[in-house]
Amino acid sequence: MILSNLLGSEVRDAEGRKVGHIADVRFVLDGPPGQLLAAARLHGLIVSPHSAASFLGYERYNVTQPWPLAQLLRWRHRGSFLVLWEDVARMDSGIVDLRQNYTEYDPMVPL
Amino acid sequence: MTRQRLPAPDTNGRSLDAQLHLLDRQIVDADGVPVTTVDDLELDSPVPGTPIEQGTPAPRIQALLTGPALVTRIFGGKPPASRLIRIPWSDVAGLGTIISLGVRANSLDASWVERWIRDHLIGKIPGGRHDPQ
Amino acid sequence: MKRLLGVALGILTAIGGFVDIGDLVANAVVGSRFGLSLVWVVAVGVLGICLFANMSGRVAAVSNRATFEVIRERLGARAGLANLGASFFINLMTVIAEIGGICLALQLASSVSYLLWVPVATAAVWLVIWRVRFSIMENVAGLLGLSLIVFAVALFLLQPDWGSLAGQALAPHVPESETPATYWFYAVALFGAAMTPYEVFFFSSGAVEEGWTAKDLVLSRINVFVGFPLGGFLSVAIAGTAAVVLLPAGIEVSSLSEVVLPVVAGGGKIALAFALVGIVAATFGAALETTLSSGYTLAQFFGWSWGKFRRPAQAARFHLAMIICLLAGPSLLATGVDPILLTEYSVVFSAIALPLTYLPILIVANDQQYMGKHVNPRAVNILATIYLVIILAASLSAIPLMIMTGAGS
Repeated sequence: MILSNLLGSEVRDAEGRKVGHIADVRFVLDGPPGQLLAAARLHGLIVSPHSAASFLGYERYNVTQPWPLAQLLRWRHRGSFLVLWEDVARMDSGIVDLRQNYTEYDPMVPL
Repeated sequence: MTRQRLPAPDTNGRSLDAQLHLLDRQIVDADGVPVTTVDDLELDSPVPGTPIEQGTPAPRIQALLTGPALVTRIFGGKPPASRLIRIPWSDVAGLGTIISLGVRANSLDASWVERWIRDHLIGKIPGGRHDPQ
Repeated sequence: MKRLLGVALGILTAIGGFVDIGDLVANAVVGSRFGLSLVWVVAVGVLGICLFANMSGRVAAVSNRATFEVIRERLGARAGLANLGASFFINLMTVIAEIGGICLALQLASSVSYLLWVPVATAAVWLVIWRVRFSIMENVAGLLGLSLIVFAVALFLLQPDWGSLAGQALAPHVPESETPATYWFYAVALFGAAMTPYEVFFFSSGAVEEGWTAKDLVLSRINVFVGFPLGGFLSVAIAGTAAVVLLPAGIEVSSLSEVVLPVVAGGGKIALAFALVGIVAATFGAALETTLSSGYTLAQFFGWSWGKFRRPAQAARFHLAMIICLLAGPSLLATGVDPILLTEYSVVFSAIALPLTYLPILIVANDQQYMGKHVNPRAVNILATIYLVIILAASLSAIPLMIMTGAGS
């Protein structure tokens, strides 16, 4: 699978209703250590209900400068959330289905 | 719509968002020489369209992709797997505002164009292998 | 002397923006038609380029990333490519125009036909890029370009009515012989020239070439605040001499020989010699700046190895790209196209390139991952946001104004 085919995919809940688009994919470096760096495991998907394109990630940082650009971009991605890999039921080209009772987590990047 | 959401569960390792921290960043080799950019990522993945069993291990990044992957990312389409130029994840040594590799550029498929132009064109022009004066 | 040489990067960068061949002629045209009533645009442009060049220099010094790497990383592949296309086209057109400009200046000095100079000038530009160290290149081209100060000297020697000149500059209005559309067309063209994107590509890459670090932020600031105001001063001086000599006499500027006419009137043959040296150096410097910028933008977008601090063989694609640009130049000039006209049309492409260049610089200058504690102060952000609006307005109005006025004719 190639990442860019996943980005922008439509995300649906278990009843088939559209909940947004994949704006980004979060990885965590906690796999078994390879030669130089730990393996990067897919942690979850950042889903944006209003916009298919991720742009600059202002919704995931507490950055408020430059005003008013930061505020504008944050507003474009209002309501973005993180779903974990455990809540992904099916992946197809352009469509990702979530499990029943999936959890929407805060999308902030942990520092 | 500023509904309070649960904070994401803690993880043991560093978090990376693909668009924010990986895609389109400069890749340099072990000597700090620019090699290419991260044009796309290759993941191992479940079979498309089939249900994912509870407890299926999460996909991992197999390789950074470059070359033809840039063309298909911009203009759409799927590059044939055999044409992809891969830099395996095991060669990646550091992740910052640039991605650094633990190997030298000369050992990588990703640098064959640079090497070919160096060996056949630029290196043959007088002065091409000397420091500027 | 070391201090003086330290600002060569800023001076050379500014020369490419304010007094390259297209602007030399444009400044004289503006002076001969509008007097000094457009000086305020130069002032606005100087402040704008200072603001963003300083940001790009700071990003380069602190994070070691040149501007087009930042553009690619922030805008992504698609919007980055749109900017690359537009910026590269502007660069290439300007490279061709500058080589033509060197030849026009040499023709004026030697009476040998301009087309015969084309291969000589192209080869000279390439040799400098191929073999000469970056610091020597910027010092020689920058300092010789300063001979253009002779335009300011000539203005003094002409003993103009300073009161009336100041009046034109401080209380600008559209002259009766011109329409508001042509006035605004030239206003947008002057602003676009002041802010042309290859200045920040060259300045930030030059900062990496010279190995600036966070310790050199003061040096970067001095470069910006000496270089660009000086460039603006030279362009105003050229317009001023034209306003004093050509405007009253009703002489229309169509070539370089009219540009230097007021210098001869004010300072005679010696002044003319200085002006010619200055024009050759400025166009040569601008040719170097734009050729290198073509290489920098391509290499930084695709992640190739680049830089004059490396041997050419260690930056093979970077050097090959510039060789191809330099071969394209003479081939196009041989068709007899007017090199000065070429730079006028690149204004159109600035409409795409300007916003897509300055927006990512502003964003990264606020990003702590890159900048640590050196992020933008709040006042700079407010000013830069205002400038983004001006840039957008100028970009959007450039094409309609150009069509309405027949490119200012």
